[in-house]
Amino acid sequence: MEEQLRKEARRLLTEGEVAVVIGYGWNSRKTRVTPVFITNPDDADKLVFNALCVNNLSIYLTRKYKDIKALGKPAIVAKGCDIKNIVICVSEGQVARDNVYIIGMSCTGVVYKQELWQGELTDNIMPTKCHNCEVRNPHVTDIVIGDKVDFTPPEEPTGMVFDKIREFDRKTPKERWDFWIDHFNRCIKCYACRQACSLCYCERCITDKNQPQWIETSAHERGNLAWNLIRAQHLTGRCTECGECERACPANIPLNLVNSKQALIVKESFGYKSGFDMEEHPPMIVYKPEDKDDFIK
Amino acid sequence: MILSKEKLGALVEQVKISGALFAAPAVDGGQVVMKSVNVADEISFDYVITANSAKEYLFPQTETIAVVEIEKNKVKLSAVEPDAPETVLFGVRPCDAAAFASLRSVFTWDFIDESYTKREDKSIVLSVACTKGDEGCFCTSVGLKPDTTDGSDLQLKETTDGGSFVVEALTDKGKEFVKKFSDVFDDGSADTKAIFTPDEIPGGVDIEKIKERLADPAHYADPVWPELARKCFGCGACTFSCPTCHCFDITDEGDVFSTERKKNWDACQIDNFTLHASGHNPRDTQTKRWRNRFMCKFHIYPKKFTTKGCVGCGRCVRVCPVRLDITEVMAEFSK
Amino acid sequence: MSDLYIPKLVRIEDVVEEAPDVKSFRLVFQDEELRDSFKFETGQFGLYSAFGYGESTFCIASSPTQKGFIQCTFRASGRVTNALSALSIGDTMGFRGPYGNSFPVEEWKGKNMVFIAGGIGLPPVRSVIRYALDRREDFGDITIVYGSKSVADLVYKNELAHWDERADINCIQTVDPGGETEDWKGKVGFVPTVLEEAAPSADNTIAIICGPPIMIKFCLSALDKLGFNDEQVYTTLENKMKCGVGKCGRCNVGDIYVCKEGPVYSAAEVKKMYDDF
Ligand code: SF4
Ligand code: SF4
Ligand code: SF4
Ligand code: SF4
Ligand code: SF4
Ligand code: FES
Repeated sequence: MEEQLRKEARRLLTEGEVAVVIGYGWNSRKTRVTPVFITNPDDADKLVFNALCVNNLSIYLTRKYKDIKALGKPAIVAKGCDIKNIVICVSEGQVARDNVYIIGMSCTGVVYKQELWQGELTDNIMPTKCHNCEVRNPHVTDIVIGDKVDFTPPEEPTGMVFDKIREFDRKTPKERWDFWIDHFNRCIKCYACRQACSLCYCERCITDKNQPQWIETSAHERGNLAWNLIRAQHLTGRCTECGECERACPANIPLNLVNSKQALIVKESFGYKSGFDMEEHPPMIVYKPEDKDDFIK
Repeated sequence: MILSKEKLGALVEQVKISGALFAAPAVDGGQVVMKSVNVADEISFDYVITANSAKEYLFPQTETIAVVEIEKNKVKLSAVEPDAPETVLFGVRPCDAAAFASLRSVFTWDFIDESYTKREDKSIVLSVACTKGDEGCFCTSVGLKPDTTDGSDLQLKETTDGGSFVVEALTDKGKEFVKKFSDVFDDGSADTKAIFTPDEIPGGVDIEKIKERLADPAHYADPVWPELARKCFGCGACTFSCPTCHCFDITDEGDVFSTERKKNWDACQIDNFTLHASGHNPRDTQTKRWRNRFMCKFHIYPKKFTTKGCVGCGRCVRVCPVRLDITEVMAEFSK
Repeated sequence: MSDLYIPKLVRIEDVVEEAPDVKSFRLVFQDEELRDSFKFETGQFGLYSAFGYGESTFCIASSPTQKGFIQCTFRASGRVTNALSALSIGDTMGFRGPYGNSFPVEEWKGKNMVFIAGGIGLPPVRSVIRYALDRREDFGDITIVYGSKSVADLVYKNELAHWDERADINCIQTVDPGGETEDWKGKVGFVPTVLEEAAPSADNTIAIICGPPIMIKFCLSALDKLGFNDEQVYTTLENKMKCGVGKCGRCNVGDIYVCKEGPVYSAAEVKKMYDDF
């Protein structure tokens, strides 16, 4: 698989079809993978793909990355779940489909965090998204690398996040509130969650806007709650549950829980799943006469 | 001198009775962090290094420095005295203890930031030498070691049986602490566990060479910079968790009648850190922002403040979502 | 000092609308003792508070020879400066400072002075101009080259008129092409070009430049052509600052903390700096 990937990267760079291949490579100790930007066909052998490749590299397609943009047209090594983010970025006009070459990777799952890797991919170190994955065979691509993967996601979503959601649904609002306050209290307002997210592409995030100051910047209860709620709202129906925010959060706040719950609600209410259709816009940013109004009470 | 783990309960209790804060490694949100504890049972011993550094006890994430009440044209401005309780910092790793000298050097050059110095003066550091570590640790590459005593008032080493610590009082503060809580410390000595040794950084590191290369402004144009740093996405996690990062923002919170002036952590990795009101940003790419972090650690700190900018705790390596490993950059600049 | 970051209260005694979005305040300390004891030097800066909004950094635009008050001039361009701009005479705001180094005016006794400024870059230079005019006999020829985008954007219009009238100052005003009005009597053209035309002698002369980076760049090469060496040319750096006292870590250019070692530098020093502008 890696050979196939390297061959394609070499071809793309040699023929000048793209200027850079954004992919994964080893760190110097060969213990972790890290994003690499291959511009020279001779370096294509640095590309790797394995269960450690958890990063969603689509972030590098967004406009925050001036120095990567400056390299020229990119090809991107992307798992199905990463492609979902590219789809949203295309549908929201952030990335032109023609301006990115998607190297889709057949995938059998990755680790939740690289630190958990002990040489083997077991169910309990896989993130919830992999347990329910519908895109192990990537869905929007220019080329697919790897053999077809046989996997049917379970009818009922499984995994830690969904177990937690079911447990939560039985709790009282007070219990839920306490749970979140307790977690958000640890937030240090580093905004790593936002920086890790390819759908948080705003040039100026609402938290940086200070006329008026919508969100207090101090890491105290009020400011943390405001930040986390607003970020969640901005991702309602858009978030693809790639899990990068939670992975990046140094305070270990269970952000996937918020996002997946929202995704469930959006799916139930609008029959919409984000990241599949480049033509369709996420439901929270469009109005349809048949939209439900049962939330107005 | 010996401190048995069984007597830790009594120590915590007595410290709390004396009115001081007892901070120690404890589990919170699924990770071991430095945290204020009430009973010894909360304390974890099974950790490589706490996820946060102890710096937040001396330099809190958010702090109110003044309160302003505004009524028509009357402005009442009251400075808020820093909240500086007596604090026992227990179980700090030696690298973190060594970092206090760095923070102090920034907060006291010329102007003195008393909210820092007051807190530092009122805290006592009980470090625990490392008997285990991980791939992130690299104190030995920056001239420290897993049982460095810099910054510690007392240093503890776990005994071979794991039931106690051998205690060494290093400073007057430390000796007084032992005197004050003498009934928890026992005389005697014991064999201690072997000290952990971090792996060599692949390629090797030469701090003097790094300093020499950074001292020449021409390195800013070195094409190796984007190669090394463009993958950074500016999350700031490295800087927030770094024990020597001192940067902050001053901001007002409240409304036009009543407002609090806050001093909040901030970081050079964040995109608008140096953004001018005119819209100009001298560090307009992540590469430049990351380069500044490296400069700060291995040029500005040693040159300007004559202290260590990096104590090799490895937090930034562990926490980085894109694995931008500072040791790889160190190796590159050691060439 | 546990009040390191605590501002002193000042009352706004006078407001002048200098140009669109640009205002000058004359500020007087509430604390009477401070009014007399407050000392600063040309080129130093302060942090100005709009309570409820925060602090903003700009230079002190008055001269140390003017006692009892300080003056500042700023453009409303962000949260704090917009809030400051909404204040009026009699209102209270905060000030802390003075911070930073200063122009070595004592060393310049007996020298000719060339002041070059663009747009909102005049205020820091104006502090030195006032100083030089108040000690006129200490200095040789004085040349001022000041330009802005349009006539409306010129700040200190009254003072400019006064400088224009004085025989002992060569005051040249210019506006960018297209920025002139019908009755505009000054020059039309960019500051560097006008400076080159004016051709002040480099002999025994000090030049001070302040303005947008691009203007500074071209003025430096113009001065070079006129025979000025880098030790004769001074400027003040404007970086984002929050603490003003070397703690918050954001004003650095390489290893230089502009708030402490700056903001005043000779061109020779600037050229040696890391490329962090
Ligand atoms: S969610 Fe699917 S595509 Fe993504 S890493 Fe898991 S298995 Fe692979
Ligand atoms: S990453 Fe975590 S700690 Fe940082 S701002 Fe987001 S929620 Fe808060
Ligand atoms: S730079 Fe990294 S390794 Fe060095 S002290 Fe900071 S967090 Fe630790
Ligand atoms: S400049 Fe950056 S690296 Fe240096 S102390 Fe500040 S946040 Fe840390
Ligand atoms: S933790 Fe990594 S990605 Fe985040 S700012 Fe630091 S180097 Fe960049
Ligand atoms: S303004 Fe804070 S360090 Fe210079």
